Amino acid sequence: MERITHELMLALRGIKRAPAPYFLTILILSLGLGIFFSNATLYYWLNNDPLPHKSHTLFFPQINAGAHEDGSREPHRILSYRDVQLLSTSDIPSAKAAMFQSAGYARLPSAEQRSPTPVHLRATQRDFFTLFDVPFLHGGRWPDDAARLEIILSKASAERFFGETNVVGETLQLGNELFKIIGVLDDWALLPRLYDVQAGNGAAETADIYLPWETAYDLSIKSNTRTRSEDNRNYNENFAVNGREGYFFQSQFWVQLDTPEQQAAYEQFMQQVVQSEKEAGRHPRPSANRLTNMSNIAEAFDARNRQLDVFALVSLLFLIVCLFNASHLSLNRYLASQYEFGLRRALGASRGQLQKQILADVLVSATIAFVFSLLVAAGATKLITTLLPSTRTLTSWNIEMVAVMALIALIASYVVTVYPAIRASFGSLSRQIK
Amino acid sequence: MSITLLLKSLSQRKVITVLLLVQLTLTLALLSNSVLLSHQAYSLSNQPTGLDLDSTLTVDLNPTDDNLMSQPALGGLIQRQLEALRLIPGVRHASFTNQTPLLPGGMNGNTYVEDQEVTTNIPAVPFNFADPELFDALQMTLIHGRWLTAEDSETDSVVLTETLATQLFGESSKAVGQLINTGTVVGVVADIMYQRFSSDQYYALFFNEKLPSAEHGYSLILNVEKSAIDRVRQQVADVLRQVEAETDVLQVNTLRQLHRRVFQQERGLAILLSALSAMMLLVAMISAYSHALFHGLQQQNEIGIKRALGANKTRILFEVLSESWLTTGFGAILGILASYLLQQQLAKIISLSPLPLWLPVGASVLLLLCVTIATWYPASIATRVSPAHATKAL
Amino acid sequence: MITINNLSKIFRTELIETHALRDINLHIEEGDFAALTGPSGSGKSTLLNILGTLESFDSGEYFLDGQPVQGLSDAALSRLRNEKIGFIFQSFNLIKDFSIYDNIELPLRYRGFNAKERKQRIEEALELVGLQARSSYLPGQLSGGQQQRVAIARAIAGKPRILLADEPTGNLDSLMARQVMELLQQINEQGCTVLMVTHDPDQARRAARHIQIVDGQLHDSTLYQPLSQPLAETLGD
Ligand SMILES: Nc1ncnc2c1ncn2[C@@H]1O[C@H](COP(=O)(O)OP(=O)(O)OP(=O)(O)O)[C@@H](O)[C@H]1O
Ligand SMILES: [Mg+2]
Repeated sequence: MERITHELMLALRGIKRAPAPYFLTILILSLGLGIFFSNATLYYWLNNDPLPHKSHTLFFPQINAGAHEDGSREPHRILSYRDVQLLSTSDIPSAKAAMFQSAGYARLPSAEQRSPTPVHLRATQRDFFTLFDVPFLHGGRWPDDAARLEIILSKASAERFFGETNVVGETLQLGNELFKIIGVLDDWALLPRLYDVQAGNGAAETADIYLPWETAYDLSIKSNTRTRSEDNRNYNENFAVNGREGYFFQSQFWVQLDTPEQQAAYEQFMQQVVQSEKEAGRHPRPSANRLTNMSNIAEAFDARNRQLDVFALVSLLFLIVCLFNASHLSLNRYLASQYEFGLRRALGASRGQLQKQILADVLVSATIAFVFSLLVAAGATKLITTLLPSTRTLTSWNIEMVAVMALIALIASYVVTVYPAIRASFGSLSRQIK
Repeated sequence: MSITLLLKSLSQRKVITVLLLVQLTLTLALLSNSVLLSHQAYSLSNQPTGLDLDSTLTVDLNPTDDNLMSQPALGGLIQRQLEALRLIPGVRHASFTNQTPLLPGGMNGNTYVEDQEVTTNIPAVPFNFADPELFDALQMTLIHGRWLTAEDSETDSVVLTETLATQLFGESSKAVGQLINTGTVVGVVADIMYQRFSSDQYYALFFNEKLPSAEHGYSLILNVEKSAIDRVRQQVADVLRQVEAETDVLQVNTLRQLHRRVFQQERGLAILLSALSAMMLLVAMISAYSHALFHGLQQQNEIGIKRALGANKTRILFEVLSESWLTTGFGAILGILASYLLQQQLAKIISLSPLPLWLPVGASVLLLLCVTIATWYPASIATRVSPAHATKAL
Repeated sequence: MITINNLSKIFRTELIETHALRDINLHIEEGDFAALTGPSGSGKSTLLNILGTLESFDSGEYFLDGQPVQGLSDAALSRLRNEKIGFIFQSFNLIKDFSIYDNIELPLRYRGFNAKERKQRIEEALELVGLQARSSYLPGQLSGGQQQRVAIARAIAGKPRILLADEPTGNLDSLMARQVMELLQQINEQGCTVLMVTHDPDQARRAARHIQIVDGQLHDSTLYQPLSQPLAETLGD
C-alpha cells in the first residue's frame, strides 16, 4: 500500500512539473472520449434489445393484402381488421395482439366542466401485456379480446388523474364514453419501443391509456400514425361496420412463436391463409408474406436513424484522432523526461519498478480523463438532443454503462501512455546517458 | 532548411510523424465531409418553398368534445373560429385546411388522369381541403385558370400545383378543364412545398369541401402583417378558447419555424459535424502547438548550435514552421484521399453529393493556416534560445 | 582584427548581479594565435561568446574586422557570425541527428553556397581533419576526438577570419588533445586568427600570445598596445 501511494505521489509530481502539457493531453483525451461516450449512449439505446430473453420469439407478420392488383410485392406496413382476424385464427402463437396508437381527450366524470387532458392511447388486445412483459401494479388485463368499456392506465396517468395509483374500479371519461379502470401498470418503458418501430415511433413515449382494440373500432377511434383506405367507403360514418369490413388499414400485429417449429408452422399457416383468400378472390396482389423478427424490425422498416449512424461513425474517428493526438503529446512528455528515466535506470531502478511507475501514471490519467470525459459527454448529449430532438429518450446512463466507460477511459489512457513510456524508459541506456 | 534535411529529421522521429499524419489525415477527411454535409443541408433548406415563411401563422388544433368532431357542428365551429381570428388586428386573411404545408403527415391519395391510371398514376399526393380564402392566406400565385370559389363548394373542382399539373399533363397549361380521378381541374397555382417526403415535395391538390371529421385535428392558416406576428401569435390561443372552450390548441407556429423543423435532422447533423470539425481543428492546433513547444525545448541545443553557426531568428522560425508545413502537407495529401474514402462510406448511409476537389483542398489550406497560427508562438519562443546558453558544455 | 574598448558585461538574475567582465580593452591582430586562460568563473567563456556575438554586452565598444558590432540587428549579427567566425566548443555541439556531412554543410547553406561549392568545401575541410571516410556517419558513431575534429571542420569550412575555441580539448585525452592542437596551429598557419580558451599551461605556452583573465579583468602578457581607433574607422565615414 505504501509503495502504491509512493508511485502515485511520483506520478502526481510528474504532472506538477509540467502541468500545461499534461492537461492538454488529458483535455484532448477527454474530448475524444466524451464525444464518443455521448454517441455510444445514443447508439446503444437505439440498438438496445429491450427484451433480450424473448425478442427472438416475437414476430411481426405481414401479408400482401390490398384491394387492387398493382403488382407490388411490398406488403403494407399496416393491416386491416380483416387481415388481423385472419392472422389471429391460428393457435400456433403462444401470444398474439393487434394494436395501433391513437390520441384522445380524457377527463374525470366528476369534472365535466373542466377542460380535458390530452392522452396517448393504445388500442390493443389482452396479450399485449404478456408479449412485451408489461408489469401490472394493480388489477390486470382484460379477460378476452372482446369490446368492452374497460381501460388500463399507466402509473403516471393514474397519478395524474386521481393522485394515487390504486384506482381499479374508478371510471374515466374518454371522448363521450365512460370507461371502467381494470388495471394500472407499473413503471414501464421499452427502449427502443420496437413494437412501434413500424410506425416510426421507436423513440416516442409510451401510452397513457390502453383500451380494447375492438372497442376502438366500435367508437370510431382510428390510428393517429398511419391509416390507409383502398376503397370508396366513407370511413367517417359507421366506422364500426365500415372499418371492420372495408379495406381500411391501420393496425400492427405481433405474435410470439417460441420454437423454430412454431415459426415454420406459422409461416405455413400464413401461406394457407393467403391461398384461401386468393381462392375467394380477395387477395389480388402477388403473395409476399413476411414474418419479421423483432430484432430485425428497424432494418425491415428502414427506421434506423441515419443521421446518428453517421455521427457515430464520425465520433469514432474523432476518438481515434484524439487518441493519436494524446499519445503524440504524451510521447513528447515522456521524451522530455527520458533523461530522468535513463538516470534512474542507471541508478539501479529495475524495469519492473519503472513499469509500476508507468502504471501509476496510467491510473492517475485515466481517473482524471474519465471525470472530464463524463462532463464532456453530458455537454455533448445536451447539444445533440437540442439539435436532434428525436434522440431525447435515448440518453440515460445505467451503472453498467458508466462502468464500461470507466474501463474504456482506462484502456485509452493505457494505450496513450504505454508506448511512449516504454520508448522513454527502455530505449538504449547508453545512448541516453552519453 | 532543405527539404531533404527536413525529411531526414522527420524520419528520425518516425512514430511521432506517423501519429501526426494519421491525425491530420482524419481531421481533413472529417473537415471536408462536414463542410459538404453542411453545404448540402444549407442548400436543401434554401430550396424555394413558394410560401411567405415570415408572415404566415399556422394553428394546429383539435376540438376536445366528441360532439364537435363532425359535421355540421365542425363546420360551424371553424367558421366562428375564422371570424374571430379575422378580428385580431394585424390578421389579413384567415383560412382552414386539413394539413399544414411543410408538416409531415396528412391526407394523401393517388392521382391520375381519368382513364389513364396505369400510365399517369402518382401515389401519395397531399389532398387539401380548401376554401376560397386559403389562396390569400397562403399568398398563392395563380398560374392558369382560376382558384376555388364558393360555387365550387362540394363540387368536383380541383386545383393543382404546377409541378403536379406538369407531371400529369406534360405542360401545366394543358391541365385546366381536364378530368382527373378526383375531379375537374379548374386552375393551377405556383408550387408550394407541402410534404417533403411525399413523391415530390411540390405536389399538392386542392378542393373545396367541408372537412368531414376533426379526428386528426385541423389547421388554421393566418396571413399576418409582419410587424404584428408576435402579438397575434400570443393572442390566438385565447381567442380560440373564447370561441369554444372545448378546444385544444396544439401548436401555433410561423411557417418559418415549421420550415426549420422540416430540415431539423439535416441542420442538426450539419451543426454537430461542424462543431466536431471545429473541435478537430482545435485539437490539431493544440497538437501542433505543443509539438512545436516540446520540440523547441528538445532542440534548444540544436537551435543554439544553428544560431552559433549563423542562422538568424527568421531562419529558425521558418525552419520550425516549415517542419509543421511539411507534415501538414503530407497529411493534406493523405487527407484528400481519405476525404474521398469517407465520402464514399458516408454516402452508403445517407444521401450525400459527390465531393468537389476544391473542398478538401480548401480544407487543407484552412488546416495549414490553423497549424501555422498554432506553431507561430512556440516557434518564436524557439528563436529566442540564447546560443551562448544552449551551446554551453554540460 | 578584433578591437574592444572598455567593454563590460553584467549578468543580472533576480538575486545577484555578476560583473563577468569589467572594462576590458583588447586588440587582436589578424593571424594571431592567442590563448585565453584564467581561473574558473573568471569570464573566459563570456568574453569568447561576446567576441563571437553569441552574447551581448552592457557597455563599451567592439569592432570586428573594423566593423562596429554594437547596434547591429539580429540578421546582420547572424550574417557576421556565419561569414567571419568559426566556433569550436568543449562539448563539440554537433547536431546528433545529422550526418557528419550534413553537420559541416549547415553553415555553408546559411551562407547561400550552391550544392557544388558546398561539396567542395566540405571535402576540403574533411580532408584537413582527416575524416573523409566518415562523412556519412552520425556523430554518435565517432569518438570524442573525431567529433571535435568534425566540429573543427565545420568551423573552418566557411573559411572564417577568426576561430573561437572554448576549451576545445577539455573533453579529450592528451593524445587526442595534441591532435586537435596541431590542427588548430595548422589552421592558424593558413592565416586564420585563432582565439582559444584553455586550462592547460602547455597549450597556452604554445600560443603566440597569452591573455590572462582574472575576475573579469584582463592581464595581457604581450606587448601589443590597443589602438585607440580602429583602422577602418579612421578611413571610413
Ligand atoms: N547566463 C549567466 N547568468 C548569470 N551569470 C552567468 C551566466 N553565465 C556566466 N555567468 C557568470 O559569469 C562569470 C563568468 O562565467 P564564465 O562562464 O565566463 O566563466 P569561465 O571563465 O568560462 O569559467 P570556466 O573556466 O569554469 O568555464 C561566472 O561567475 C558565472 O557565474
Ligand atoms: Mg568556460
